This record gives sequence, structure tokens and C-alpha cells, in this order.
Amino acid sequence: MTPATFVRPLLAAFVAGSLVAGVTGGLLRAGVAWVEPVSAAVFAHAAVAHAALMMSGFLGTVIAIERAVAVRLRWAFAAPFAAGVGGALLLAGRTDAAAWLGVAAALVFVGVNAVLVARQRAAHTALLLVGAAAWLIGNLLFALRQPGAAVIPWWFAFLVLTIAAERLEMTRLMRRHAGAQPALLATLLALLAGAGACAAWPVAGGVVFGVALAALAAWLGVFDIARRTALAHGLSRYMAVCLLGGYAWLGAAGIAWAATAMGYPARDAALHALGLGFIVSMMMGHAPVILPAVARVRLQFGAWFYLPLVLLHASLLLRLGAGFANLELRAAGAALNAAVLVLFALTLVGSAIVWRVRSGRTLPREAT
Amino acid sequence: MDNPSPFPYQGPPQLQQPVVDALMRVVDPEVALSIVDVGLVFGVTVGGDTAHVRMTMTTAACPVTDVIVEEVEHELGSVLPAGCAVEVELCWEPPWTPDMMSARARRFMGW
Repeated sequence: MTPATFVRPLLAAFVAGSLVAGVTGGLLRAGVAWVEPVSAAVFAHAAVAHAALMMSGFLGTVIAIERAVAVRLRWAFAAPFAAGVGGALLLAGRTDAAAWLGVAAALVFVGVNAVLVARQRAAHTALLLVGAAAWLIGNLLFALRQPGAAVIPWWFAFLVLTIAAERLEMTRLMRRHAGAQPALLATLLALLAGAGACAAWPVAGGVVFGVALAALAAWLGVFDIARRTALAHGLSRYMAVCLLGGYAWLGAAGIAWAATAMGYPARDAALHALGLGFIVSMMMGHAPVILPAVARVRLQFGAWFYLPLVLLHASLLLRLGAGFANLELRAAGAALNAAVLVLFALTLVGSAIVWRVRSGRTLPREAT
Repeated sequence: MDNPSPFPYQGPPQLQQPVVDALMRVVDPEVALSIVDVGLVFGVTVGGDTAHVRMTMTTAACPVTDVIVEEVEHELGSVLPAGCAVEVELCWEPPWTPDMMSARARRFMGW
């Protein structure tokens, strides 16, 4: 029996647990009344820890698994393991233990990314390392019981920098304008400066953070390969559509973030245009290629993947557009957001079954 | 006259085109191009009962490396004689650069 035999299912359980708990907590926060508390304490913890569960427990664990697979070092799996256990502890109400485990996870993750930088000294590996450091800062502030307004920008900075680094790497395939990379680095520096300033100077910090997000959306719209791969077909086109839709929400999130800092009631739009519109759309695009790598499950791509994607964007429009001034519509949009995630999970399961039936192949399991 | 291989090839001439075609079927969906067009294949040697592939990735931080390697093994396995094993060697020197892309890939990416 290899460690992979039990490590992967355990990590998968942590990822799924944080996601389900995080989404349930989000529904409670959005005022979705039909969530019936089975255990009041667990639901209360899920609602309180919604951001930590989604960004550190769920996405942090997923990204740390992805990087551990890439670096091919066993100790690298300590990062997703610690982040996953942290998510479970959050649900148990052990916030301090969870938070410090999150710090440990991010410390290991910084080490993993330092190894990658040593292997390949490039702008995109350096950015991945900076993203890891942003996760560490966010987790440290969370462990030190700083308010969400100080912590959340760092968690988002971690996710946004990670995505930006991966997209920058892809732009190497295109003839790139000489100013493209410096423009991206300036934008990301502004993002970090904004994140750092949010606690002490919420207005200036929030505006800088928001403007940097919007500038990043513009950069990706202009320089990313998605505009070209959208002209391809099949999975490549689907991934490009996910990316381009995500970039539109990133721009909207930037404007909403700056507006919120200036006192306008756009907080839900700022957080969820970014978290769901940009990051989940990106995740939906990459799941068909990442799942085979990290979970050893191959998927059959088909046009049916567009259904949850379209519904994600439509339900966000309902939540953040029509729901802007109507709390009932906002709650309905949030409930539909959650339903879309369930539909996407079912899409993945169905696609895995279709691939197995059609190909008659299973993936070999390597010792991890 | 045989078509020139897009990468250095050593081995039975009758297997050259099937090997190239097999590797052209391994597509990186993120960039909508085959690994041959991206320039990831450094060379293939077929000799005795082994096919040896030297290839790279565009980044050391790529989590789908194993999947691409498995696709290479699967596609080559389907065109090589029964009993011919496929060995894939990942090389990081020289590092990948856009100059390694095929003319078709460069056209697609707007060079």
C-alpha cells in the first residue's frame, strides 16, 4: 500500500468537507432560510468561518495539492494536509488551532514554492512564491485574530496572484508586448500594497486593491492566450470561455471593491464577483485537466460542461445585479450559486463515468 | 522522400511517421496545441524493444506533467510493435523557450 492509497482519499474528504461547509455557511449568511440546522453549532461555525473555509480550507488545500503534485516531493503534501485538517477544526469551533495549522500549511507551501523557484528562475515561479507568502500573511493575521477586513484581501491576493502567475506563464506562447510583464508586475505590486493598507487605511487600501483588480482584468483581457484559444474547439474553447467570463467578473469585482471602500453598498458584489465569478469560473475551466493530475480521475469532455458554467454566470447576475437592491433576489441568487456547484460536481462525476465506459481505460496510480 | 520529423528521430524509418502522428495526438488543452507543436518533444529513439522519448514542459510548476507523460505512453504504445516499452525522460535543459514552437503554433499564437 502506497501513501497515495490513503492520502488522496483523505485529502479529497478534507476538500469536499471544507467546500460543503463553506457553501452552507455562505447560504446562511446570505439569508437562505431553507437551510435546516442539523447541529446548530456546526452551522454557526460554518457561517462564521465561511471565508476561511472557502479560501483557506477549500481553495488553499486544492492549490497546495496541485503544487505538491507538480513539485513531486512527499513532504509537500504536508501543506494541503494541514490546511485540510484546519478546515475540519474550523467546523469544530477550534478556531485558534485551525488558524495556526493554516499558518503551518502556508509555511510549508512557501517552502514548496521556493523549491520551484530554485528549479526554474522565472517571473511566473517568483509570482507563485509571492502568492504563497500572501497566503501566509493572511493566515498569520487570521491566527492573530485580526478583523476580516485585514485578512480577506491577503487571502484573495494569494488566489489572484496564483492565477496571474499561471496565466503569465501561458503568455510566453504569444508574441508579447515588451511592456506586458512590467505592467503586470506593477499591477500586482499595487494589489499587495492595497491588501497591506486595508487594515490601517480602509478607504485608500480598498480603492487601490480594487483598481489593481480591475487593471489585472484589463491586462488578462489584452494579453492572455484565451482570446486565441477561444477560437479552437472542444475543451480548449471551453477553458477559454471560462477564463474570459472570469476576467469580466474580475473587472466588476475591482470596481465593486473600490466602491465598497468609498462607502457604497457593494460588498457582496466585491467578494462574490471575485470569489465566484472569477475564481470559481477559473476552477470550472481547469477541473477537466487538473482532476486527472491530482485525483487520478480522467473526464470525458462534452458540451454539457457549458450548462453549469452558463448557470454560474446567470445566477451571479441575478445575485449581484437584480439582487443588488433586493435581499430576496440576492438570497435566491446565492442559493442558485450553490445549486450550480452541486450541478458541476454531478457533471464531473458523470463525465468520469462516461470516460471510463468509452475508453475502457483506468489511470495508473503512481506512488506519491 | 520521407517528411522530415519535427524532432530528432532515430529508429526504423517505417515507424517515424506513426511516432510523429502519435505524439501530435497528445494535445495540451490549455493552449489548444499538440506537444509537438509547442516544442516539448526533444527527440525520440526507437531501438530494440524500447522507445525512448526526451521531452520537457513549459514550466516546472506544471501539475499535469504526469497526465501528459501517460498520454505519450498511451499514444506511442498504440503505434509501436507489441512488446516495445515506452520510456519518457523529462529534461529541463535546455529550458523551453517560444523559439521551440512550430511554425503552425506560432501562427496560431499570433507571432
